Amino acid sequence: MSRRALITGVAGQDGTYLCDLLLSRGYEVWGIVGPAPGDFRERAAAIDGLHALEADMTDTDSLLAAVETSRPDEIYNLASVSSVAESWTASVVDAEVNAVGLVRLLEALRLFAPAARLFQASSADMFGETLVQPQTEATPLCPRSPYAIAKTYAHTMVRAYRESYHVYAACGILYNHESPLRSPQFVTAKITRAAARIKLGLESEVRLGNLDARRDWGFAGDYVEAMWLMLQQDLPDDFIVASGETHSVREFCQAAFEHVGLDWERHVVVDPKFFRPVDPTVLCGDPSKAHRVLGWAPKVGFRELVGMMIDTDLVREAPALGSDRG
Amino acid sequence: MARRALITGITGQDGSYLAELLLSKGYEVYGLVRRTSTRSDERIAHLADRLKIVVGDLSDTPSLLAAVEESQPDEVYNLAAQSFVGDSWRQPIYTGDVDGLGVTRLLEAIHRVKPDARFYQAATSEMYGKVHEVPQSETTPFHPRSPYGVAKVYGYFITLNYRESFGMHASNGILFNHESPRRGLEFVTRKITYAAARIKHGVQTELRLGNLDSKRDWGFAGDFVEGMWRMLQQDEPGDYVLSTGETHTVREFVEEAFGRVGLDWQEYVVLDPRYVRPAEVDLLLGDPSLAKRELGWEPKTTFKGLVDMMTDADMVRVAQEAAFENAGK
Repeated sequence: MSRRALITGVAGQDGTYLCDLLLSRGYEVWGIVGPAPGDFRERAAAIDGLHALEADMTDTDSLLAAVETSRPDEIYNLASVSSVAESWTASVVDAEVNAVGLVRLLEALRLFAPAARLFQASSADMFGETLVQPQTEATPLCPRSPYAIAKTYAHTMVRAYRESYHVYAACGILYNHESPLRSPQFVTAKITRAAARIKLGLESEVRLGNLDARRDWGFAGDYVEAMWLMLQQDLPDDFIVASGETHSVREFCQAAFEHVGLDWERHVVVDPKFFRPVDPTVLCGDPSKAHRVLGWAPKVGFRELVGMMIDTDLVREAPALGSDRG
Repeated sequence: MARRALITGITGQDGSYLAELLLSKGYEVYGLVRRTSTRSDERIAHLADRLKIVVGDLSDTPSLLAAVEESQPDEVYNLAAQSFVGDSWRQPIYTGDVDGLGVTRLLEAIHRVKPDARFYQAATSEMYGKVHEVPQSETTPFHPRSPYGVAKVYGYFITLNYRESFGMHASNGILFNHESPRRGLEFVTRKITYAAARIKHGVQTELRLGNLDSKRDWGFAGDFVEGMWRMLQQDEPGDYVLSTGETHTVREFVEEAFGRVGLDWQEYVVLDPRYVRPAEVDLLLGDPSLAKRELGWEPKTTFKGLVDMMTDADMVRVAQEAAFENAGK
């Protein structure tokens, strides 16, 4: 009989990649589609072979029903209000989904699928203003935004359930991970989309904030592979999932524009409007435990990632070219 | 004009001691009380005509906005919580909603209605859980082991966040166990002193307990509320451990309580695995030196003084209960 997986946040970037991965491995995949914007619903509906369930991370009964219906062997909790900026105006809603939502899911697991294994998508943001570089699984958490605080709540709760109830629950502490599915509100997708449009003659410049900001960027497709591996171990544990190297926004621009044969310095405009009041601490993860225990290593490097994103954007933006000319 | 304070959890042990302290300092004291069908105000009954009660709940944002609006507080003390660790495993979602998100709701209400009010958050040594070092100080990493501890860590960080992001005078008191004759019977200390008194009076025959080797840093609640108040009198907000700095075992507590009433505890105490927690916390021992240095705070009541105070109070209480019972026959 095929294994069954339940994914919350199935219509997001990670959910989409994970769903593909699990379907390719013969899983029966169930996905929770929340009261999310329409395009998320459409994306979920567009995935062949996905059993979609209506549920809401803020509604305990809907999650109990979802777990009872799908009877999963593996649960992947990827649902989250994931914009750090938005959380300033909606701290409570944020925590309802990102923090207490996870508790609802753990309780649903305990009641209706006690043998199921749970993956929790934790965030590198939990390290906040840490002084430790690079961060490991043992680095103390120091969250500095409502989003990161809610993620810390879920992360520590998973550990408490694991230690007290011996629930099989594992956290992946995920660093920035991008892909062609990244929405343009993230700087990476903003850059590759702009570079593609500039290449196609649809635009002439892109306005960015601090070019010296550095991030540990990886490819989402690689990171969902780590999530799956984490649930195939004999014992549950937490793992840093990161590339282990940082690059600046400047390097990202350079790579993106070079990929389409342009000189980035002629098109990138630094706009103080996009500067943050305080730039967050540079976070760089040490993925050696994941490498050692899971045998995981990212397959897509920095330049490949940038190339993949911009190639997709070129295809995506080309019709706009046609219609503009038409 | 008198300073005004709003206390959530005013019907609890700490709330009642804090209310007494603030009244004695001339504050106008408002207390947030949940609407329940049974009375839960026995701890503040003696203050009833001096307190202003506002009905509200940490899970209900509009009630918090109204409470802050009505009280216009200079100081807010957030002592309300589902504070029983064991029950937090039975009610993890409710515990998170009140002990965690409730802090955000209250901070948000203050930020909107009375942003210059000073804020005290009742954090707890349970946040250290599986301890990373002994003793624990303000810089020890957290490793909570229960839904209660996890929710309290959330409350701690969100308090810090409102301080750093909005410049609010918001402080965390990381309180180690603090007991008193007003402690609820679900806590092991009161359970022991009440049982010792009942056994002494012949209305109970045994006392069932979990792990007797559990060690705790136990102080007197009346001393600790003084520390809370001092935090809000500082020019700058901060986070402080309040503790006695010494630990005692449950066994020592039992010994002292039963000894106080002239009984040999070993004849009455029964070990019951039902009372052993899913994951026992490690040695919680607080280092209160920062509070001593910056707040000039230290506990006045000794361990023996505390156990004796609680046992004596329960002897009086049980005698009254017995008299009441007999009168009814």
